[in-house]
Amino acid sequence: MEEEEEDRLSNDELMDDWLIESIKLYNNLHAFELQDPTKVIEWTGEKSICVAGFKSGGRSEILELTLPQKLCAKEDQGLCPERDFKMEHGGFSERPIYCLKHVQGTRLLVSSGPPDNSLQIWQIGVDDSDVIRLLNCINNEEQNNHWSKIATSAAGSPCVLHGTHVKNLQVTEIESTKNVFLPGIASVDLVSSLEFLSKDAFLLCSVRGQMWLMDMRQQKVVAAQDVCALPAEDFYWCMGVERRQPDLDAVPCRVAKLSSTGYIFVSDVRNLAKHMCQTKVSIPSPVAENKFMNVSWAPALDNNIAVSGFSGSIEIYNITSWHSTDTEACPMFVHKGHTVLEDRDKGEIPLVTAHTWHPWKPRTVLSAATDGSLQVWEWR
Amino acid sequence: MPFSSSTGAGQDVGRSCILVSIGGKNVMLDCGMHMGFNDDRRFPDFSYITQNGRLTEFLDCVIVSHFHLDHCGALPYMSEMVGYDGPIYMTHPTKAICPILLEDFRKITVDKKGETNFFTSQMIKDCMKKVTAVNLHQTVQVDDELEIKAYYAGHVLGAAMFQIKVGAESVVYTGDYNMTPDRHLGAAWIDKCRPDIVISESTYATTIRDSKRCRERDFLKKVHETVERGGKVLIPVFALGRAQELCILLETFWERMNLKAPIYFSTGLTEKANHYYKLFITWTNQKIRKTFVQRNMFEFKHIKPFDRSYTDNPGPMVVFATPGMLHAGQSLQIFKKWAGNDKNMVILPGYCVQGTVGYKILNGQRKLEMEGRNTLEVKMQVEYMSFSAHADAKGIMQLIRMAEPRNVLLVHGEAKKMEFLKQKIEQEFSVNCYMPANGETTTITTNPNIPVDISLSLLKRESVPGALPDPKKPRIMHGTLIMKDNSLRLVSSEQALKELGLVEHHLRFTCRVHIQDPHSEQDTLNKIYSHLKTVLKDSSIQHLPDGTLMVESILIKVSTASEDPSTKILLVSWTYQVQDLRRILLKCIIQSHLAEIS
Repeated sequence: MEEEEEDRLSNDELMDDWLIESIKLYNNLHAFELQDPTKVIEWTGEKSICVAGFKSGGRSEILELTLPQKLCAKEDQGLCPERDFKMEHGGFSERPIYCLKHVQGTRLLVSSGPPDNSLQIWQIGVDDSDVIRLLNCINNEEQNNHWSKIATSAAGSPCVLHGTHVKNLQVTEIESTKNVFLPGIASVDLVSSLEFLSKDAFLLCSVRGQMWLMDMRQQKVVAAQDVCALPAEDFYWCMGVERRQPDLDAVPCRVAKLSSTGYIFVSDVRNLAKHMCQTKVSIPSPVAENKFMNVSWAPALDNNIAVSGFSGSIEIYNITSWHSTDTEACPMFVHKGHTVLEDRDKGEIPLVTAHTWHPWKPRTVLSAATDGSLQVWEWR
Repeated sequence: MPFSSSTGAGQDVGRSCILVSIGGKNVMLDCGMHMGFNDDRRFPDFSYITQNGRLTEFLDCVIVSHFHLDHCGALPYMSEMVGYDGPIYMTHPTKAICPILLEDFRKITVDKKGETNFFTSQMIKDCMKKVTAVNLHQTVQVDDELEIKAYYAGHVLGAAMFQIKVGAESVVYTGDYNMTPDRHLGAAWIDKCRPDIVISESTYATTIRDSKRCRERDFLKKVHETVERGGKVLIPVFALGRAQELCILLETFWERMNLKAPIYFSTGLTEKANHYYKLFITWTNQKIRKTFVQRNMFEFKHIKPFDRSYTDNPGPMVVFATPGMLHAGQSLQIFKKWAGNDKNMVILPGYCVQGTVGYKILNGQRKLEMEGRNTLEVKMQVEYMSFSAHADAKGIMQLIRMAEPRNVLLVHGEAKKMEFLKQKIEQEFSVNCYMPANGETTTITTNPNIPVDISLSLLKRESVPGALPDPKKPRIMHGTLIMKDNSLRLVSSEQALKELGLVEHHLRFTCRVHIQDPHSEQDTLNKIYSHLKTVLKDSSIQHLPDGTLMVESILIKVSTASEDPSTKILLVSWTYQVQDLRRILLKCIIQSHLAEIS
């Protein structure tokens, strides 16, 4: 007991040190502990997010949380003492949740996870209660035991784009569960990321880094990017699409592609064949699979990208400082909160599982890690 | 059964007052004041208990969990204005601190706001005379059936969770508690007391709290920024509570950062604080207790006593001053002097009652009317920080896990249905979860244990030698329950019969078993005898002179069937008590003959 107490006290001191240092580094810093770690942080409204458990064997919870008042205040932030998340709604899932997407403008959620590639449709807050209820299941025409990637669109009737492999992607209308579009792209690679760019166009990225821009009205692929000419290793890729304006037809939009070895390539969506810029970021070691890999664009800042999933920290880069893949890019800011702030059993270094940007507060990010921590931070 | 409780959604505003009826006893848990209301709605509605007059005969005792006004603010009103003369229980620190806060509060409400329907100073004194202070983990007999016990709750100095027990039924009321230790208090703790119900606030179950460290960081950051730009920081505090904790924090920070700006403490504060913390040192956390021997945690290197003349000193400084809501005294004086400078800052670490300057500026008011029609323009930065240590969703799960109740009751003020929460708790712990709204009554059926004495001889007979009882594998035992006078005893049947002066009836059964055996009756009998001898090694098997075989008390006789000489009839006779043996016996006989045939 004595030793434990001593360790706790010195751990306290280390935390105090970091906290004092953080005063110079951050404007705002909040640290929370979820009961179960999450690998999804999905916005369901301007002030609410959904998180969900992904443990195997047993039930997982889906929670809709409202942001602390202090984070939502646009002015007079000093007069808001409220710093806590509030659990507004919750639901139980029999399967772990690996992917969770909200359908904008509705109270619907779509999720996927092992053991198979079916989707679960949820409704938040049925009958004015605090329950998130399972409404329905959508099956892929090709059933298999991988878990589906998802993208949702609310333009017109709520639809979901989903699939495990590029060839079995389909767009299904949620209410009728009927397929409204089958891309039919002949590639057997696994899908890594999906994103709707407008009500008619979506972008998809395979685990090998191949990308396709599909126009559903024209019913064809209008742009594509090939696999990168890099040393052949077992790379995994994922992508993040820049979302600056709600109406994307007007403003050019960029996409960043991240590899499991730390390469990032940026392209203009309308000109996928070319890379606008690229770099290699420093990572402790390549990840074996793209479980937690994440790359995203800041919605309220220019040219800022966040990268996570390789360690317990999140790196923010400004792409204007990138030159080539020969020199490693230097992050503008590194958030180490997940490795320092929580009391934990020694030896377990948490891994960041997910991150997302605040929709309008510049430099504000929400992140989660394998130890159940959830942090909200705004660097200076 | 919850009586009346209301909490503002997620805020520190609310009022707790719960009535529990258990084993015929009525207990009131907390008696708080609702700080949000100015009229009678701030007091609990005691008409639930009785329409007219005094509460003494309706309540067996009143328990107060800690000194926050939303838990004890209506106590003098209840005991002196409505009328209650029975016992009131609280911990020692609570008893010492309550009257101070009540008096402060009374002063603001009556003197400042000119209210009339409010308790007086004398009423507070009279009320406290009815209070009995209790120690942690001390079982207090309220009467010969009702007992209570206090457990450490963290949260604030002296806060306790209470277990109320009548016979085999018990309830645990958590009050406000905290599951993570902080700089000066430990974490709540309770043993596996397995109460029938745990009563707690539902706010806990739905909040996910920002860490204490991040709150502290914010505080330090604000103070640091102000001091760096040459400004002054005013922190209005109550004599007890937040002040000590924030002082320890600043002291640590100043030391680490090697800062030079002076920090001051209203003189009254240090003495009182030191006095109370010394008195109640066992209520603080391990770290403070350890260092207290070497160095008094409340004697600071960087924090000095304040003198009024310092107010006009140039340059940065930090001042902790009473009272906490900027409603009078030193803190208000300092505020008036510093408010006009935008480099300065005032940090309010707690809720401010309506009518106070603190309340007004927290609501954004920038122009205040002072005495003599003077207007004060508030240019200084105003910060509202919440430091209260409350448990959250994770914490309430931890507490339920510790206490292992059979039912959980969450009290809340919101009308919204909390189905998810209920399911979550019910499934995680296999308990029932109730969430009544204000004014609702919940009835919970309990399964009380009935203790029964067992006679030693019966226990010896029924227990398996060497094997301990396994709760997962219950064994059926045979005995007789005698309920006589006030005792319940389990004895063997023989003893029961003896005590009752009755004679045991014996029932003897007979059956006929036909077996195929062409040999003589004697041979058949001998064969059965040999077979049984090998198979039933432990039983006594004898040949009786009249040709009967006796296995223990079972008799077997062999005769030949009249219709068919190769068929033998076994006449088996046994008493009711040896059913099992008979079964085994018959099985053996049949087996032996089947073997023969094959």
